Amino acid sequence: MTSTVQTPTTRAATPPAAKPSRLRRTVRTSEFTLVMLAVIGFVALTLTTDGNMLSAGTLAAFFRFLAVPMIIGLAQMVVLAIGQMNLSVGVLTGFCAMVAAWAMLEAGLPAPLAVLAAMLLGAAVGLGNGLLVVFTRINAFIVTLATMTIIDGLRYGVNGPGTYQDYSAGLAELGQASLLGLPVVFLIACAVAATVWFFFARTVPGRHLLASGGSPFAARLSGVSNDRSIVLAHALSGLLAGVAAVLTLAQSGSVNATIGDDLLLPSFAAPIIGGVALAGGVVSVLGTSLAAFIVRLVDVAQAQFAINRRWVDLIVGAVVLGVVLSGAIRTKLSRRSS
Amino acid sequence: MKQEDTTTPEQPRPPARLPLWANPRIGLVVLLIALIALFTTLRPAFLNTQLTLVPMQADISVYAVVGLSQLAVLSLGHMNMAVGRMAAMSAFASGLLHDRLDAPLIVALAGGLAMGALLGALAGIIISRTGVNSFVVTLALDFALIGLVSLLYATFTDGVAFNGLPAGMSALRTDTFADYCAGDVCGPEIPLLAPIALVAVLVVGLLFRWSRVGREVLMTGSNAKAAELSGIPVGWRVVQAHALSGLLAGLAGFLLSANNGSFSAGVGDGFLLPSFLAPVLGGTLLVGGAVSVLGTVLGTAITQVIYKGLNLLQFQVDELKLYIGLVLLAALSLDRLRHVLAERRGVPA
Repeated sequence: MTSTVQTPTTRAATPPAAKPSRLRRTVRTSEFTLVMLAVIGFVALTLTTDGNMLSAGTLAAFFRFLAVPMIIGLAQMVVLAIGQMNLSVGVLTGFCAMVAAWAMLEAGLPAPLAVLAAMLLGAAVGLGNGLLVVFTRINAFIVTLATMTIIDGLRYGVNGPGTYQDYSAGLAELGQASLLGLPVVFLIACAVAATVWFFFARTVPGRHLLASGGSPFAARLSGVSNDRSIVLAHALSGLLAGVAAVLTLAQSGSVNATIGDDLLLPSFAAPIIGGVALAGGVVSVLGTSLAAFIVRLVDVAQAQFAINRRWVDLIVGAVVLGVVLSGAIRTKLSRRSS
Repeated sequence: MKQEDTTTPEQPRPPARLPLWANPRIGLVVLLIALIALFTTLRPAFLNTQLTLVPMQADISVYAVVGLSQLAVLSLGHMNMAVGRMAAMSAFASGLLHDRLDAPLIVALAGGLAMGALLGALAGIIISRTGVNSFVVTLALDFALIGLVSLLYATFTDGVAFNGLPAGMSALRTDTFADYCAGDVCGPEIPLLAPIALVAVLVVGLLFRWSRVGREVLMTGSNAKAAELSGIPVGWRVVQAHALSGLLAGLAGFLLSANNGSFSAGVGDGFLLPSFLAPVLGGTLLVGGAVSVLGTVLGTAITQVIYKGLNLLQFQVDELKLYIGLVLLAALSLDRLRHVLAERRGVPA
């Protein structure tokens, strides 16, 4: 489930005929490392908590709160694919959630329409980001820094410091519902991830987007519109932030103007641990999702062992740094040997 | 104050003299004056010395140093996402030195600065050794330090702050030069923090304008390959620029602690956004190779004037952000327009 443009990291890469076996290639991908890490972490956590991890309640909570980090990681990944960043993902999620809650409570919109409105709003703001980047030619980092500040103010403007709750019984039910033992919100997140994967792997706009990210110059020479890729990527990122807002609405039961504040740094951590290059041209839906899974494991471990909340940040920081360094060392070694 | 403005070296013709309207700094000064005039008309209390001007100068001092800290790595085309947490670690080091060893003010300050510089150098070493994007490295460092700072405060204090300050630090917070008189002549109503920030501005300005290290950092930022081929120790310059960024972050942490009246874990929490805002408003590019120290100071002044002014007009803090963001977007778009117009006239801007 990856669209990584695979770089030959193998030692025996010189003659093309002597390709390593399929198994060995699979073993060497960063996704495989992440899968192993996730499995080992999960098993270790299960053993050390005397199987508490596998009890229905803990397991359901584990996956329920995995949904939003996954989607937020993907929202950032889409923009990283073209070598840009979107600093506004976190606050945009909060803004969409607040607006949807407002629409249900104060404007009396039915829940399905409000959900749709949240996603459309996310996509529209993302589209605005993209258009600003294309028309002003200002660095996306700066543009989204500015829009992040603006949306932060708007998010607060919806209801001031107040909290919205009891907006929709149907949404709350959806947030708590399970299917085959897995929370529905998590299944939705998986479906969204699969769609994003399909978009990058199999559709023309998705491949164009990756081409623009990999080499804008080459993409232009091949007739790909880089501007269109930029606008599309930002709009998609906004749309995913809107989806994350809907999931937040469903699972949390109440929203206020601080929603999304703690999402910005994790949104970068997941794709980076997952092997997405900041330079663009490479995405890994599976890697990003697995990274969110691993970060969630650290979270649960903290709760299970009643460790200081702050160790989580320390460990996540160390993991990001470790993954990045090991990746750099690996490419250095493979370059030396070839 | 020396301003730094390395125009792109690509044009072969002799650099034409900039027309007045094409100088971005003039635009910032005009914007600053217009904002002050606007707020003064709406609320005459804006020019009240005790209520507004003195605290505002203190804030500008703190955040100008924060902006310079980011500018130090922007000169390379790098970023420092950990600027706030480096400040927090520095404040912790200062507080610990005072709390455990009873260090005087100057030693505590030196310890804090050393801590900041060390963290910055660590980031620089990782970046130059591995070639990993500075954004990722400093982001990871930020994550790690967020956790570490709270853990350290939990271990060494009974809460989130050190009790007590080195002698003389509270004077930095409360006094202005007007409190010090020689005979009948008293100083102006300028907080004691301001000259510290001014020294930082001057040193950074001179560094990038006149010193060999500063020029070589800028060359590394504009084209690392060419710099390396010209015999510049690129890796070492990267480490130095990041160490300078950490050092300035440490200084900003110290100034904010002095302003708040305690060394606490919350120092630096709100540094990230202003650190980018000020240099970018001031015309520093993210791609590296060109910095504007004077512009950074002006950018800080504009942001703080907006904050203070809207505050006086009784806007909520969170609402303010909306306007700060809009001003940033407008300023950048205008700058872009100016650039396009200047290019059309054949003037390098």
